[in-house]
Amino acid sequence: MIRVRFFTILRLLVKRADVILDRRGISVRDLLDDAQRAVPVPFLHKVLDDEGKMKRGTLILVNGRHVQHLDGLDTIIEDGDEVSLFPPGGGG
Amino acid sequence: MCMKVTDAGVLRVNLSKGTFVEESVGEDMYKMYLGGRGMAAKLLSDEIDPAIDALSPDNKLIFANGLLSGTSAPTGGRYMVITKSPLTGTIASSNSGGIFGAVMRRTGYLMIVIEGRSSKPVYISINDNTVEIKDAVHLWGLGTAAATDKILQEFGEKRASVSCIGPAGEKLSKIACIINDKHRAAGRSGVGAVMGSKNLKAIVVKGSNPIESEEKDQFSAYAKEKTKMLKENAVTGEGLPALGTKVLDSIINQSGLYPTRNFQFATFEDTEEVSGEALVAKGYLKSNKACFGCPIACGRYTVLPGGREGEGPEYESGWAFGADCGVNDLIAITEANFICNDLGLDTISTGTTIAAAMEMYEKGYIKKEDLQNGPEMKFGSSEAVVYYTRMTGMREGFGDLLAEGSYRLGEHFGHPELSMSVKKQELPAYDPRGVQGHGLSYATSNRGGCHVRGYLISPEILGSPEKLDPQELTGKPQWVKTFQDLTAVIDSAGLCLFSSFALGLQDYTDLINGATGFSMTAEEVLTIGERIWNLERDFNLKAGISPVTDSLPERFLEPIPDGPQKGAVSHVQQLLPEYYSLRGWNKDGTIPKGKLKQLGLENAKVVLVRKTG
Repeated sequence: MIRVRFFTILRLLVKRADVILDRRGISVRDLLDDAQRAVPVPFLHKVLDDEGKMKRGTLILVNGRHVQHLDGLDTIIEDGDEVSLFPPGGGG
Repeated sequence: MCMKVTDAGVLRVNLSKGTFVEESVGEDMYKMYLGGRGMAAKLLSDEIDPAIDALSPDNKLIFANGLLSGTSAPTGGRYMVITKSPLTGTIASSNSGGIFGAVMRRTGYLMIVIEGRSSKPVYISINDNTVEIKDAVHLWGLGTAAATDKILQEFGEKRASVSCIGPAGEKLSKIACIINDKHRAAGRSGVGAVMGSKNLKAIVVKGSNPIESEEKDQFSAYAKEKTKMLKENAVTGEGLPALGTKVLDSIINQSGLYPTRNFQFATFEDTEEVSGEALVAKGYLKSNKACFGCPIACGRYTVLPGGREGEGPEYESGWAFGADCGVNDLIAITEANFICNDLGLDTISTGTTIAAAMEMYEKGYIKKEDLQNGPEMKFGSSEAVVYYTRMTGMREGFGDLLAEGSYRLGEHFGHPELSMSVKKQELPAYDPRGVQGHGLSYATSNRGGCHVRGYLISPEILGSPEKLDPQELTGKPQWVKTFQDLTAVIDSAGLCLFSSFALGLQDYTDLINGATGFSMTAEEVLTIGERIWNLERDFNLKAGISPVTDSLPERFLEPIPDGPQKGAVSHVQQLLPEYYSLRGWNKDGTIPKGKLKQLGLENAKVVLVRKTG
């Protein structure tokens, strides 16, 4: 099982904290598509641009590590991993 | 009557003598320092001996607007309070929003310089150029909200604004802040104690002189363009308006940088209970609120069950009373924030000092009898957080020791190493072991532990302006230097640091040139920031602050025990030599005379000209 967690304005948008998907050995890109299919509210446009690339400032963390420092959207997710999605955010 | 941006004056009030004079600022001062933080740092450096006791009448307290404060430049509602800090012994420059700065600017004063010490409590009333020093004996002891209401009632004019201290500042707490417009804080470094040491309760201002830019049409076009950029940016146009700065709780916790239980851990198991999302889900957030001239509107207005209401909590405040104290009760956290605003306490230092006390108590260094009948100082106790916040603000019971800040508290009990501070100022809400550049920024901040002198979280975690690997060391000293210099520009321009999520150096240069008619290049503007940084460093060195203090608490040399960053340690000492070299400093962190000369800092002291007529 892979837990995809929604944070900040994504959570306000989809009105749920997470979705659990029965997958393994799947890329982040494909996992996002599957997560979108599991959630009735469109959310992918908040994290990906029209070409399907990550928007600047988007955070996609796999077990707390930003995918940009892994293999980007091609990072492979395994059973038991946790993927956290954040649209661009800031403060301090 | 319209005033040019570079036309503003300086009001100098001597509280020992009960006198005031008006002075003017030469155009060169704007070109060298812009205004605000930079210009006031120059005045303070010229006019006081940096080695003096910060709470003596010899210290000066400067309320300073930035160059663009009060203009139509987006986010131009910021002012700063500059003085020598009683907490750190360094120069202090604390930034605040609301409307006070913009209203003050319309009185015609860019800066108010307060000298000496009144023999009894007073407040300063400024209605355009009518200045009065008024009795405040009847206000002494009041919280900031009641004092503000009373002063506005006595002032009797609409559209006035009050900046004042609460009991914490009156009682010289080294973590006391100055509160304007009831809820906005010039929070850090104990600036409220300096105000209290002068027996100055408040300043009330009302101005009616709009500010006119030199290149009116060009400036107006720039202001509109930059406002549009802020509105269209995902951070400043969507994330911050929706969730405020508390958008960060989940980001920082999930990234494994969320200091928990006095920085012993880096993730908090109950973040979902206290996050920005929770503030919305629990129904406590009622609306967002903007400072003067701000299209972002990141301020929170909250109402708690039972009816208590006010602004906050911001991310840092919520974390300090929450995860850092192990508390998962959002009501108690918000309540502690409200108490700080009313008693005039810095939320970061207060929460972090309580967290340090909790660790000392749990380790047996602070005994039950030390608490003077207060509740047990245990991590997770919302009762303790609310109780000791109030006692700190009133300096009563055990709160008298807490009011000195975590370092002095630790020294008192023989364990200063448990103070999570740099230069005796408490660290904010990011574990530096997981973000190497941000750790260097903490260590080298000119005002001690601070996140807003070079917010490396932006590139290292948030990916703005580009995503850096937080554990990578290569290139980080250059990033830190650039961010520190740029931040000094933004502060001295009187703009909000959050604008930098959407705007860059060229955008600030456009606004500065449009407002003044100057034709500075972006590089020249960034050099102003470098000049200010060196000026502040020079002040600190003369104050006796050794470069040895460019370091982090020993805890950060031990591996993070939990979360995604498990095993990470700080490499600040490895980064320092390159940082000093990039700054053009000596290997020991001192500034060579040649560097000061290159930046124009070897010049004679600036003497302001007294206005006539």
